[in-house]
Amino acid sequence: QTKLLLFPLSSSCSASFHSSGETQIVSEQAIQREETMLQCIFLLSDSGEVMLEKQLTGNRVDRSICVWFWDQLLSHGDSFKQQPVIASPTHYLFQVVREGITFLACTQVEMPPLMAIEFLCRVADVLSDYLEGLNEDVIKDNFIIVYELLDEMMDNGHPLTTEPNILREMIAPPNIVSKMLSVVTGNSSNVSETLPGATSSCVPWRTTDIKYANNEVYVDLVEEMDAIINRDGILVKCEVFGEVQVNSHITGVPDLALSFVNPSVLDDVRFHPCVRYRPWESYQILSFVPPDGQFKLMSYRVRKLKSIPLYVKPQITSDGGSSRISVMVGIRNDPGKAIDSISVQFQLPSCVSSTDLTANHGVVNVLSNKTCIWSIDRIPKDRAPLLSGTLLLENGLDRLHVFPTFQVGFRVQGVALSGLQIDKLELKVIPNRLYKGFRALTRGGQYEVRS
Amino acid sequence: MFPQFGATADTLSKASTIMFRIGTDAHLYDDPEDVNIAPLLDSKFDSEKCEALKRLLALIAQGFDVSNFFPQVVKNVASHSLEVKKLVYLYLLHYAQKRPNEALLSINSFQKDLGDTNPLVRAWALRTMAGIRLHAIAPLVLVAVGKCARDPSVYVRKCAASALPKLHDLRLQEHSSTIEEIVGTLLTDNSPAVVGATAAAFSSVCPNNYSLIGKNYKRLCTILPDVEEWGQIVLIGILLRYVIARHGLVKQSMMFHLHSKEHSSSENDDSDADSKFGKEGIDPSKKYDSELASMIYRCYIEGPDDYLSRSSYSNKVFLTFSGAKFTSSKNNEDVKILLQCTSPLFWSNNSAVVLAAAGVHWIMAPKENIERIVKPLLFLLRSSRNSNYVVLCNIQVFAKAMPYLFASHFENFFILSTDSYQTKALKLEILCTISTDSSIASILKEFQDYIRDPDRRFAADTVAAIGLCALQLPKMASTCLEGLLALTRQDSFTSDARASEEEAGVLVQAIMSIKMIVKQDPPSHEKVIVQLVRNLDSIKVPAARAIIIWMLGEYSKVGEIIPKMLITVLKYIAWSFTSESSETKLQTLNTVAKILSNSKGGDLETLTKIGCYVLELAECDMNYVVRGRGCFFRKLLSSHLGSKKLEDEVVASSQNEGLLNVLAEHMFHEQATQQSPVPVNYRVYLPGSLSQIVLHAAPGYEPLPKPCTILDDADAEAEVSEQDGSDSFTGSLDEESGSYNGSDNSVASGGNTDNGKTGSSSEDENIQDPLIQISDENHLRPAGSADLEELMSRRDLETWLDDQPSLPNSSIPEQSKVPRSARISIKDIGKRVIPKTYELLDPANGNGMKVDYTFSSEVSTISPHVITIQASFENCSSETISNIVLKHEDFTTKPSDSSESSSQDDVPALIPMEEITSLEPGQATRETIHVRFHHHLLPLKLVIYFNGKSHPVKLRPDIGYFVKPLPMDVDAFKDKESHLPGMFECTRSCIFKGHVDYLNKEKGNHTFAKDKFLVVCESIALTMLSNANIFLVSVDMPIAAKHDDASGLCLRFSSEILSNSAPCLITITAEGICSEPLNVVVKVNCEETVFGLNLLNRIVNSLS
Repeated sequence: QTKLLLFPLSSSCSASFHSSGETQIVSEQAIQREETMLQCIFLLSDSGEVMLEKQLTGNRVDRSICVWFWDQLLSHGDSFKQQPVIASPTHYLFQVVREGITFLACTQVEMPPLMAIEFLCRVADVLSDYLEGLNEDVIKDNFIIVYELLDEMMDNGHPLTTEPNILREMIAPPNIVSKMLSVVTGNSSNVSETLPGATSSCVPWRTTDIKYANNEVYVDLVEEMDAIINRDGILVKCEVFGEVQVNSHITGVPDLALSFVNPSVLDDVRFHPCVRYRPWESYQILSFVPPDGQFKLMSYRVRKLKSIPLYVKPQITSDGGSSRISVMVGIRNDPGKAIDSISVQFQLPSCVSSTDLTANHGVVNVLSNKTCIWSIDRIPKDRAPLLSGTLLLENGLDRLHVFPTFQVGFRVQGVALSGLQIDKLELKVIPNRLYKGFRALTRGGQYEVRS
Repeated sequence: MFPQFGATADTLSKASTIMFRIGTDAHLYDDPEDVNIAPLLDSKFDSEKCEALKRLLALIAQGFDVSNFFPQVVKNVASHSLEVKKLVYLYLLHYAQKRPNEALLSINSFQKDLGDTNPLVRAWALRTMAGIRLHAIAPLVLVAVGKCARDPSVYVRKCAASALPKLHDLRLQEHSSTIEEIVGTLLTDNSPAVVGATAAAFSSVCPNNYSLIGKNYKRLCTILPDVEEWGQIVLIGILLRYVIARHGLVKQSMMFHLHSKEHSSSENDDSDADSKFGKEGIDPSKKYDSELASMIYRCYIEGPDDYLSRSSYSNKVFLTFSGAKFTSSKNNEDVKILLQCTSPLFWSNNSAVVLAAAGVHWIMAPKENIERIVKPLLFLLRSSRNSNYVVLCNIQVFAKAMPYLFASHFENFFILSTDSYQTKALKLEILCTISTDSSIASILKEFQDYIRDPDRRFAADTVAAIGLCALQLPKMASTCLEGLLALTRQDSFTSDARASEEEAGVLVQAIMSIKMIVKQDPPSHEKVIVQLVRNLDSIKVPAARAIIIWMLGEYSKVGEIIPKMLITVLKYIAWSFTSESSETKLQTLNTVAKILSNSKGGDLETLTKIGCYVLELAECDMNYVVRGRGCFFRKLLSSHLGSKKLEDEVVASSQNEGLLNVLAEHMFHEQATQQSPVPVNYRVYLPGSLSQIVLHAAPGYEPLPKPCTILDDADAEAEVSEQDGSDSFTGSLDEESGSYNGSDNSVASGGNTDNGKTGSSSEDENIQDPLIQISDENHLRPAGSADLEELMSRRDLETWLDDQPSLPNSSIPEQSKVPRSARISIKDIGKRVIPKTYELLDPANGNGMKVDYTFSSEVSTISPHVITIQASFENCSSETISNIVLKHEDFTTKPSDSSESSSQDDVPALIPMEEITSLEPGQATRETIHVRFHHHLLPLKLVIYFNGKSHPVKLRPDIGYFVKPLPMDVDAFKDKESHLPGMFECTRSCIFKGHVDYLNKEKGNHTFAKDKFLVVCESIALTMLSNANIFLVSVDMPIAAKHDDASGLCLRFSSEILSNSAPCLITITAEGICSEPLNVVVKVNCEETVFGLNLLNRIVNSLS
């Protein structure tokens, strides 16, 4: 017969075997995170007024944080506005500014900051989609919809439904018809009575039963050209950031495959969730079930390009208290299609007190914040556009030591300057008739010429 | 609205606004209170209710408190209109916590809605009900969540998942296991949408419950690309943590590379704490800052205080992977699958997903594959403008650790005029870090453009960056210097008297950069110094002048030209002294003093004159700091200034003077370092974390789990030899017999104690109290004595007797060599161990059923993996309880990752217990249960069934009982110990005060003062034996001059791990005064380093 001996465990060692940091594994008493993710979202107008607050968790955030935020913004100016993450005395703030509206989110705990920023961007996207643009008035006018959307998009500080298609079915966007209807009938419900089928579908971005008389799909290559030309006129960097935008109106659940003639020019890509990774990995084919309507299928980047469509030659000479400036613009490499919407924009140095600028073509505007915008639109055939004039410096300065950077904007329709070409678009399940349309457009992106 | 219409814009926009606003809720927002809201709420028309609710929401939006409408609003929760419901919910959630009592009124309606056929209604009801967050209804919500977790609608299940954190926030201890259980269920859901939401719940409810992840790991990985983006972000983090905790770091990865370098260096010299930073040469092809990089590694894994423990952990990793490298290891499989499933996410549209995936690859991917993260990260910079800054912050860390990753992509960091200042500064820093010989030319060209940027703060930063580049690439130093010198000559800084503050900043920065570069190699840059000094007259900025003057003093002896021009320059600065700013004055003084104290030969007289002149001026200065400095230098340099008449004194005090010179040198040098700030950012947090952006640990931030902290049985199995399951000890008797079995061959002890008490070995059995016995070798101990006794060799005794008077009391005897200790045998300690019980189920929760458990030292006969536990069941209720049985929570499912070894699968987590048919009120019974803990450290979830009901309970493992006593004698112990050195050994210290209370009690009664030593030994031994199933090998007593000095007290315990019979040796050394808390060092030697470490931590916890 064995005698049992039971060893006691002292109460002090409450079953924690690890160093203090990991006591949580076993100890239920350990303090867990107080809150999850975002606590509150504020929408601020461009004058700093809090238009809306949506508390997301039990721990409420006082509005006074917005007062603090706005004070900081006023005292620090623009650099504060561009700061996406701010550590305030009580909360961490994330801000996204869209068309004058500041989306401000608060948290008190560790969370991926990009998640908050991306989410705010998504909110801004959805709202501007719903309200057809963003400004103070539309947000105030449709505050109920904004509330309902925010409530649906986030639950307990974690994103819940952010897919625009599902949201549209849950909460009807305001449109003229429903507005007029509500005036007439007095019934203004914009909340759907049923759960959108897409919530349970394996393609949550697509509404299930779509019917069109005419099946159409449009594919646009929209590119932005970035370039840096340094002081010596040398092209330092030239690349294209592009998007494949698709507008699809197809019956049923179509399965599309888009391929390029020269996918090898693509440096890197990012896809809409609908794109299947496998076919791209193996054959560089975009295989997807499209959402209904307009969406961004993919974004891409083409690097190390050598030719730019426009040249901008700035010259600044200065002595004796005034400086002469002349800027010439012309076509460098003809893209084959007309270049329009050409504009040159630059910030006058702060030491410039007044200017006298004229152009032989186009309109020159100097704004109160010393931004100068020269809108050229198209380059005339007979002469090269030239901006010239004098800059009067502040008293005591006889020369200019800092030089502005010129940002060039332009648009070329019908051409993708990256050289990317669409090969074909195939539809696996063929409906009666499918109209396919392809377009291309290149805009000036971060196109900078230094002087 | 239409600004282009200029003056008429206002009127037009007003008109258009009115037009557009028809039919919207605009009037409700503008004038929410223009009608009486209360009657509308009670209206029978839904539309009127809606309007009232909208008005209330408008007021909320504008920041008014309308909680006084709460009761009226709550009534409307029963409305059938979904829109009214939605609006009521919005209002309810806003105020529920403020008005908890009224909020309770809504519960019935929610309950009803939960049974609705419309999934949207169910989901909303659940979301709102959980969102109200009231303790009172928590059990109801829990039931509802449990029900909704099995709902046919994906959306409802998703909402159930997101309701879990809300419940968890209420801190319901008694329900937390149920919540975790639901998390576990939902993690196995088929719909990726649900899994995504559950991942979020998991990370806030039970982020460390790795067993839940372990069960589903592979499935979670494969489902990852289909999970919605927000869920992906969280899930990636969870999977990464799990893999690290389960398998440790990857051998080929960046992290491991850094660590192994560190590790090998720490093996080379024994003091690994001092050699934290690897000293080996850096791989020349891929240079990077190893110190910084290893620091990054440390920051990811843990804080510096855990450093010691880490070295042992990483050894474990090393072992595991070196073994796995050659076999097709399934460990690597997990890592591979994670990397595979996260790599398509680089194409995600969501920047947070891309960064999270990049983080995984950064930490886990083999070094040669890390390059994959570069392009996606750089693409993020362009494609999501708002994330720009955050991405750059992360790239900065990556680039610092591995500059070559980004070296060829330098153009991506070229600065745009539209970038914010913070972005510009970051890009500059990255450009500096990644500059190489091939790219530096283009980078410097860019920098030249930046210097002309209108933002002068940025221009100054650029100048500083040029300096840093030159430091990094010494070849470029002269080019950089030229450029910088040209900058200082620019007329904007010199001729222009009105140069603004910002311009001055650029100039000062330029000169600081020059100083920094010159410092690297002063003789070769002599001409630069000369040129600067020449420009002195034209440079007006005080700070810049101060630095140039400082350089003059510092390098006064460098080269050939400087000494020649020294006198002229000194005359110039002496002449301009009065017109300088105080900052420059101070530097002038320093320089003059420095030159004076260094100079010898012909110029001395002139120098002395200049010196005296300057010092005199200084002593009359307006600024007291300058005056003070002047006086001080006069004293310090009195020998130089005092000229010839004091020659004798000078000789006499030459030594003193020398000291003064040294002092002066030292002082000046220190000033120099103060002036060049070293902007090194040493705070590194995990990639993609908020903490990394704000540069402090945000609340809730947790570093990566320690590698291999989940000790899986599969791991243990793979490494140990077969063990005979039937060979087992059964309890304390066995333990005791084991103890004397072990000492049978040894020489018994007996002798006198320190304070004069004597006791022979034969008396041992009669004496109740433990004794210190100093035995003679000749006294053979009778076999069969019930003592836990040890031997002490005659040699030891003699040495002690001889040495006693002159013993240094601070020495800690080293176990094997220092002979100045006596061995103590503590008798009968086993009987004094009082069993302590844990509560499994308390009567309040368990309908009167009380279940307690204690760990038993008995070794199970079923399997070596099984721990025996004594459970006592007591019926505290007034009714009979029948059919009691204890079962594992889900004994049908087995962890998916433990399928390979068959022997393991044979053993269920809980050997089924015999059912207790009934317990009368007040009756108690005991049962022995056999439990296998899957993961050694996680509580085991069990369910007690009785009276047809189930009660979930948690059984907490105790690592102290994962071992069994291994009887041996001291020599065997030392022998074994010597086979387990270095990495098998881990040490921690703590404070032991268990004996203090007892000693204090003793103080009161002087009748029989027990020896303090005995009390100490006894309490340590007792604490140890009460907390772990181990064998006491020996107690070595220090023999010190002071008799209450316990320093050197050494206890040895031995045990072997149940599952694999690997010996596990424990040594405890004490230091300090007996009557005070002792400093105790615990050392564990064990082949299973992770186990050893856990055991060590457990012991330290129980001792302190």
